[in-house]
Amino acid sequence: MPLIRMRQAAAPEVDLQTTYDAVVVGSGAAGGMAAHVLTSQGMKVLMLEAGKKLDINNELKSMEWPYEHPRRGVMPPGSHALSLNEYTIRQPPYAAGSSFRHVYSYVQGWSGSDYSKNIVVDEKDHPYSGTSYAWVRARLLGGKTNIWGRLALRLSDYDFKGKSHDGYGEDWPIAYADIAPYYDKVDLYLGISGVKENLPQLPDSLFQRPNTLAAAEVTLRNSLKKMDRVLTPYRAGVTTDGLKHNKYRSKCFGRGACSRRAGGCDIHAAFDSPTGLIYPALDTGHLTLRTNATAREVLVDPKTGKARGVAFVDTETGRSYEARAAVVILAASTLESARLLLLSKSTTHPNGIGNSSGHVGHNFCEHVMGPGVTGLVKDRIGTPRTLDDGRPGNFYVPRFRNLKDRNPNFIRGYGFEGGAGTTMFPEHASGTPGFGATFKKSVRDRAGAYISMGGFGEVLARYENYIDLDPTLKDRWGIPTTRFHYKFGDNEKKMCEDMANAAQEMFEAAGFEILDVTRNMLTEGWSIHELGTARMGTDPKTSVLNQFQQSHDVKNLFVVDGSSHVSASCQNPTWTIMALAWRSCEYLATEFKKGNLS
Amino acid sequence: MSDHDNELTRRDVIKLGAAATAAVSLGVGHAEAQARVGGFLTESEFAILDELSEMIIPTDSHSPGARAAKVAAFIDSQLAEAWEEKDRSDWRRGLGLVERLSQQMNGTPFVKSSSEQRLAVLTRMAQNESKPEEPEEQFFRELKGRIVYAYYTSEIGIKQEMEYKGNTYQAEFAGYDVSKP
Repeated sequence: MPLIRMRQAAAPEVDLQTTYDAVVVGSGAAGGMAAHVLTSQGMKVLMLEAGKKLDINNELKSMEWPYEHPRRGVMPPGSHALSLNEYTIRQPPYAAGSSFRHVYSYVQGWSGSDYSKNIVVDEKDHPYSGTSYAWVRARLLGGKTNIWGRLALRLSDYDFKGKSHDGYGEDWPIAYADIAPYYDKVDLYLGISGVKENLPQLPDSLFQRPNTLAAAEVTLRNSLKKMDRVLTPYRAGVTTDGLKHNKYRSKCFGRGACSRRAGGCDIHAAFDSPTGLIYPALDTGHLTLRTNATAREVLVDPKTGKARGVAFVDTETGRSYEARAAVVILAASTLESARLLLLSKSTTHPNGIGNSSGHVGHNFCEHVMGPGVTGLVKDRIGTPRTLDDGRPGNFYVPRFRNLKDRNPNFIRGYGFEGGAGTTMFPEHASGTPGFGATFKKSVRDRAGAYISMGGFGEVLARYENYIDLDPTLKDRWGIPTTRFHYKFGDNEKKMCEDMANAAQEMFEAAGFEILDVTRNMLTEGWSIHELGTARMGTDPKTSVLNQFQQSHDVKNLFVVDGSSHVSASCQNPTWTIMALAWRSCEYLATEFKKGNLS
Repeated sequence: MSDHDNELTRRDVIKLGAAATAAVSLGVGHAEAQARVGGFLTESEFAILDELSEMIIPTDSHSPGARAAKVAAFIDSQLAEAWEEKDRSDWRRGLGLVERLSQQMNGTPFVKSSSEQRLAVLTRMAQNESKPEEPEEQFFRELKGRIVYAYYTSEIGIKQEMEYKGNTYQAEFAGYDVSKP
């Protein structure tokens, strides 16, 4: 299948004498969206990215067979992925004293780790401290969007108005109706696959060609209907029909590459920020990109207290630079943006810029993972081989708890991600007992006969869960590092008990033989969905940003990533991050043109 | 920083080249005849591993087994470049246990035993698979895990044994489209 690989226009050189209209720190989902919206409004934008611009297709090699790789896809010797035990038993910094040459987060323990080793950070260069936390970071153009899980969900008023529903926490300063038009824009601009279900807790998107289900998944879907629950095909942030307006991305051809690796798509059917947002923004001629630029401080005009630019360190040479801009936009990820706000101390902002409330770093929340179930689908044993892993995802079971009813043990809810069917590597083989011809036949006959799912639960936003700066520990560039003060609480524990029970109950009702029920929670951070730390709100005393992700304290400072989220919901955040950033940047551009930000 | 990294990369490349050469040179005919460039195991250790791999995943009427898939050669190349010395010493000890067990049970070297005798040794090693206690039982789990990975990531394992149909361009997704009534 010949595919034309488009090269983006050469980027203009960064000019540090110029005052740009806006400087954006970070190039992931949020930063990419900021660049897209602002450049399409004609603003001159400088984007700073801490990592490299990798030749990503050469990294991902999506179609390479395991046996074409000398180590069958595994990282070189001396490269170590942190295990669950290491996260649980030890305290960060996890790479301290390690005899390995490189130490990576747990995602590098997945298959195909050699293809993502340059995408995720080396923990040796990026230490952190405090409580246990499995922090996954990617520093390169596009950030984690290069390997994200692609589940693209909308939030609903059960999330935006959670406090009104159950009395806990704070409502968001927006309602679903405010953000719905921007979800639509994201759907149309980037492409999304899914099936309409008309659920109040999980609003539908403007879907392209849907994902399909494997036979056992259809069985579960039909069974759940009787329990008034839903199994819907994976809502994938993948263009399945193609995008006429984007020459850098192909439609999905069901090659199955996304399920064999940490993620990543070398035809860019799966959304990633570079091909989806940044290359088109570069084509406008309004975007300047500076990679290898590690931001270390938001610079402040001492007379006005307003932001005047960003100080950064060249990641390769260690040299320091200053970029000037009329508006500063942070999109460095939930934890890195909060760290940057805290690092930006000045006489006018002694606790860090935008932090007069003392809430920066606090109200940190995410999704709890761990509980799940694996079942055997007996009527699939020995059936002819099907192709089930070509799809860009399998299935999702939306939240069903605490909607119309009230669970006595916990508030909020959880959803499940799961899958059934054949995969390239038979994961069940090493657990199939015995050896010899009987063993071999059993592995063959049972391929595609397993089904499993695992929960993602809302972790409540709590003031006492927070990050701050470590007083002594510094990263490779001499910048003070993040220190965690973060633990799951009682609501999460109770929710996880229910998650395991509900998972088992649903598989039993579908007639699957239960092989394993997992009840333990995984380490904090495992979901890679960290949120909060600079929340939006109407009250400047208890929130950091207004409804347009604009600092209450500093009107030309915006934080457009997941740090702005008021609560975690149980739905995956990427699509919401982009819809919010779109809405805020439209507002930003309008205000900028009116002269209201200067 | 970049110079340092490049140097590491170059070294990695040289190592990879050696491993790849080892895999290729092992690729023909019966194991004992091989000259194993860059491998770790001795010829007799390699012969034991090669035999064990074929006993665990044998050729049957459906597809070729672990020997044809060059499973032992892949494991040997992994051991040769393993970062931790313990990986190598554990495997040397494990294969030594197999040989000792064979002498104890049958009074003959493992590879020179009859197929019944070899089966008795492997059966003994596998007897507590779900809860291994003895050193040879623990080694069976390690052995089987690596053989399974090597076999089912090989071309024979993926295409002939498992008849995997993917990793191709497809106009439509296989499966059921539930958006249609």
